[in-house]
Order: sequence, then structure tokens, then C-alpha cells
Amino acid sequence: MDLLQILVNGLSVGAVYGLFALGYTLVFSVLGVINFAHGAVFTLGAYFTYLLIGGAVGANGLLAGFQLPFALPFWGALPLAGLGAALVALLVERVAFRPLRRRRADPLLALITSLGAGVILVNLIQLLVGAESYAIPTGALGGLPASFSLLGARVRTVQALLLGIAVLLLALLTLWLEGSRNGKGLQAVAEDAETAQLLGIDSTAMVRLAFGLSGFLAGVAGGLVGLSVSIAGPYFGIGYGLKGLAVLVLGGLGSVPGAVLGGLIVGLAEAFVPADWSGYKDAVSYGFLFLVLLLRPRGLLGRPLPSKV
Amino acid sequence: MSVGRLLRVGTGLLTLSLLLAGCGSDDTNQPVDVTGGVPVGAVLALTGNANVYGQDQKIGLELALQQRNGSGGINGRPLKLALEDSGSDEPGANAAFTLQINRGVLALIGPTLSQQAFSADPIAQRRGVPVVAPSNTATGIPEIGFFISRVSAQSSVIAPLAIERALTIQPGLKRAAVFYAQDDAYSTAETTIFQKALKEKGLEPVTVQRTQLNDQDFQNQISAALREKPDLIVLSLQAVDGGNLIRQLRELGYRGLIVAGNGMNTPNIYPICQKYCDGLLIAQAYSPELDTPANGAFLKAFKAAKGGAIPPQLTAQAYTALQVIGEALVRLDKRQPLAGAPLAATRKQLMQEILAGSYATPLGEIRFTPEGEVIQSQFFVAQVRMDPDGRSGRFALLK
Repeated sequence: MDLLQILVNGLSVGAVYGLFALGYTLVFSVLGVINFAHGAVFTLGAYFTYLLIGGAVGANGLLAGFQLPFALPFWGALPLAGLGAALVALLVERVAFRPLRRRRADPLLALITSLGAGVILVNLIQLLVGAESYAIPTGALGGLPASFSLLGARVRTVQALLLGIAVLLLALLTLWLEGSRNGKGLQAVAEDAETAQLLGIDSTAMVRLAFGLSGFLAGVAGGLVGLSVSIAGPYFGIGYGLKGLAVLVLGGLGSVPGAVLGGLIVGLAEAFVPADWSGYKDAVSYGFLFLVLLLRPRGLLGRPLPSKV
Repeated sequence: MSVGRLLRVGTGLLTLSLLLAGCGSDDTNQPVDVTGGVPVGAVLALTGNANVYGQDQKIGLELALQQRNGSGGINGRPLKLALEDSGSDEPGANAAFTLQINRGVLALIGPTLSQQAFSADPIAQRRGVPVVAPSNTATGIPEIGFFISRVSAQSSVIAPLAIERALTIQPGLKRAAVFYAQDDAYSTAETTIFQKALKEKGLEPVTVQRTQLNDQDFQNQISAALREKPDLIVLSLQAVDGGNLIRQLRELGYRGLIVAGNGMNTPNIYPICQKYCDGLLIAQAYSPELDTPANGAFLKAFKAAKGGAIPPQLTAQAYTALQVIGEALVRLDKRQPLAGAPLAATRKQLMQEILAGSYATPLGEIRFTPEGEVIQSQFFVAQVRMDPDGRSGRFALLK
């Protein structure tokens, strides 16, 4: 296959992984734990997008036949879906993380409670809207063509958008982290929450901010993936959750650019697997992760964790 | 905790677990419990990736249950159906089968996927519980044992028909590309049959692309396949991954014929591939146009329940599975009353009764081989015709 086609395929898939891992990273950087409910929030983002563009709930579930009284264009629905997902992420923080943090419980417990929150959310989705697949209509992008040619490579428009939006969000997030008061506050809490608190930074507010941002990113990613490949039922975020975890570790725990870089590398690693053998691409990407960790135990852009005395 | 104490606790727990496992596993001396009705169980994929099939099947079972109980049940006693969700994986199917068998059901319908059947059917075989599979098409399912049968014709019978029809529509076909999910028993079994059929027609596949059930992005495989300039694409995939692959194929510019296997034989593909489902060729084991009293009654019941919609094959097959068990139970109960009879012996007699019977079903007249394989005479090929809105469509039978 042409190198350009492989690059396009790999980068477009990697953009999704990167977007997903960004949300993981934000929470990990301030709390030092993985939020396993992130996949469920991603899934909710897809469902919110579907409902906001006027989609109706199918015949199964408590909300059978439900439809919002209005329909937004896709580009209007996507940020709103992100906000909805952000609210859910804040709720997860409030219920599954904050009580444990207050009690100074072992971070491992938060990992388990977030896993529980994720399972409950997925089951709640199924209870409300059923387990069937939903799809954001192919015409949601208006007059844009379904695909286009780029120097001989064939690119689906939605994949190009995914890549563009992932890069844009990364740029905005980096600018915000480096150039705003809250962004710096978030970094300070990530570095040392107690010292940051002593310096007048409200660490609880920063944790909430990290969860809100993480939920927003997951919601937007869910909506875009829903547009790209349909919403394959309440469990469709689980696969991305596992891959996002691998990306997070590969890029370096807590590193924002590392999350995106890791996502793109995993996407490319999968794309370079010969298509005839692409059924084994997961083994290749996890094998690659394994090799990288042997050489760089902190991941590609990970920093040594500060020792706390 | 000391090592000695640990060993004692471990031994105690092991003994307790063995005792618990034994509870309900010895059905030999248990009588058939007909309190509330004659017990039959169903295990369907109502959640997970295969839920789209389970939803279709559930409707079929509900309609068959209404029909059976509306016409006197099992000689005056209602048929009682317990439905369990298996999820879409093997552990879920195993757990649901075990639960249903422990409940004392006389027979089981399910599981939804062949992949699950290879895992769960041996449990029923060991425990001596009749299984009528409504949708397992992979080679080797009835061969699992005496208690395993199916009303879903195997892929080797149906799949080649769609290839033949594609060649009728476009006789000049030369280059076929094949896709299948390598981690799914149905897909791997069916693709073998498809590839054999292609070779027999002089259409050696130019590329064979392997995917995985949970894949959602197929750009890599599609790009590689399209470089070979195929004029026919043959898919052995399930509804969700297959629907996604078709959509991506079309979006990336493929305009040729697409033949799909039984996994995509459900209207649930419409919301996934949307307008791109149009033109898809699928061989069918059921025709809504079959003019028989049994199919007429089924059609009428389905349309009443679903606002005039046309029933999909999976619904008709699930209906047939329960119909077969119901009729076999009626015959068996007439010979010797079910109530209070030894459960294990009754299950065995029921299996013999199922295999001995001939049934007028929505699929047409069906019987079984001694191994439990369905004998069905009529098969069809349909082409998907999507409505202009791209959201709904139908399987239009090709004459």
C-alpha cells in the first residue's frame, strides 16, 4: 500500500485514540489515578450528539420513541454533547472520587469506584435507550463529500475532521494550560496538590476542572466517532477505553502532548500492519507498547514522578 | 493467617463450592415442574455487539408463545418461556445456559451466535437438555451431540446462492475481495464456504482481508482491497461491523456489487450503513412472500405487533424454534403426561420427539436429520432496497 495512504489511515485512527487519551491524562495528572468511567462518558457523548441532531430512541428501553422537540445541526450538537458529557464527568467525580479523596483513601479504591461508575452508566444507557445501534445520519456534514483524494490517497472526510479537531483541541488545551491562570493552577495541583493548596490554589476546584475538561473531550470524541462509525450500542466505548489506556501509558502518564503522540503512534503502528494481517493489529500495538516500556519505562514523554517526603 | 489455617479455609471453600455446583446439576430424580406452565428457556444476545439479532429473535419468540398459548398451550397447560440475556460472548452464554438448565426447563432455544453455541451447547449436551438453535449457521453445530439441533440452515447450503445471483446480475465478474472476522466462529465458517463457492465459479479471490468483531474502522483493509480493483466484495461479518465496513467501502469509492452472509441478514443494518446498504445481496432462509397458512399466520401476527413491518429472517427462525418445541411437547404430553414425570427422561424423550416430527412453519415444511440438522427445501436471495430517506429499507426478494 502507498506510504501516504498508510499515514492517512494511521493518523485518522490515532487521532481518536489521542483524543480519548487526552481525557484520561487530564484526570491522571491531577489525581494520579485512571478514571475508568471515561469510556462510558465517551459513549454518552455519542448518544447526546445523536439526540441533539433530532435522533429518536428506538423501540427498546424506558425512553422508547423519545425525541427532543428540536434538531440541531451536527456542528451545533457536538459542543453541546461535549458539555453534557462534561456534566456527567463532574457527577462521576462527585460520587466516585471526591468522597474517597476526602478520606485520603488509597488511590486504588478510586480506580475501582470509577470502574463501578462506568458500569452503572453503561447499564443506565441500556435501560433508557436499549442496546441497539444508532447512527448519526451520513448527511450530517451537510454538503461535504463523503471522501476525497489527497495526492492519490483516499480519505474519508469524517476521518480528516477527526484528525483536524484532535490537533485543534490539543493546541487549545496546550495554550490554555500554559497561558491561563487556571491552566497553571491545574499544572501546580498536578505537580503537588498540597503545596498548591498552601499557595492559595483551590485544588478541589482544579480537580473538578480537570474532570469537566476530560468529560468535554470525551463527549466530543464520542460524537465524532459516532458520526464516523455509528454508535454500536452502550458498550461501544469499552474498546476505545482499553486502547486509550495503552496510549496513555505509551505517551507518558500525565503528559498532554504524550497522549496525542501516543495515540498517533498507536494508530500508525496499526496502520503499518499489512492489511491481510490487520486482524492481529491489536497484538502489534500492544507489543509495540511493551517494547517502548522496556526501553522507556515512563513512556515517550513521561517525566519522573516527584518523590513525596 | 497461618498456612494450616489457609489450607483449612481453602478446603472448606472448595467443598462448599462443589456442593453449590452440585445443587441443581443432578436432574436425574427431579420431576418436571409445570407450576405456572410447561417450562422452556431461551438464551439470546440482548446486549453487546450481537444484540441486534437478539432483539429480532425476542419478537419471534413472543409471537410464537402467543400463538401456542392462544391455541391451547400444551394440551390445556400454558407454555412458560423464561428468557435470559447471554450478552454477546461465550461466558455470558455459558452462564445463561447453566441458569436455565438449573431452573428445570425442558428445552432451550439459543444461543444467538455460533461462537457462543460452540461454548454453551456442550453444557446442554452434558446435562441432557434439548437445544433448538434459531440462528447458528456454522458447520458442526448439530454434531456437538444428540441434544443439539437447529432450525437455521447452515451456511454451506445458503451462502453460495448469493454468489450465483451476483454472477447472474453481472456475468462478467472477475475479481472478488473477501472480508471476514477472524475471531468469530460464524464468520470463519462462512467465509470458507464463500471462498469455495467463488473458486467453483472461477472467481479466485484477489485478496482476503481479516478483521475482528469489535473493529469499527476498516480503512486499512479497505484501502488494500481497493488497490486490487475488485468488482465483487464478499463479506462474512456481523451486523454492526459489517454495516460499518459497507459504509466505509462506499464512502471510499467502491461502486461494485457486495454480497453479505447471514450475519447481516437483519434490518438492524439499516441505521448503520444507511443509504449505503442499498444493493446488498443476501441469501435468505425465509421469504415473507411464501404462500402457506403457517407463514400467513406468522406474517399477520408480526404485522399486527410491528405496525405493518415485514418480518426479518431471524424473527421467523426464532418463531419456528419455539413452534417446533411447542408441537413436540404437545405430542409427547399426549403420549405420557409431562406433569411430575422424571425431568431427565422427559428431556431425552422430548429430543427424540423433536427430531421425529415434521413441521409446517413460516420457513416452509421442515424436518430434522437424526443429527439434528434442519431439512429445508426453499431458499431465496434478497437485495436490500433503501428508502430515499436512507434510514429504512427492505429485503426485496429476487425472482
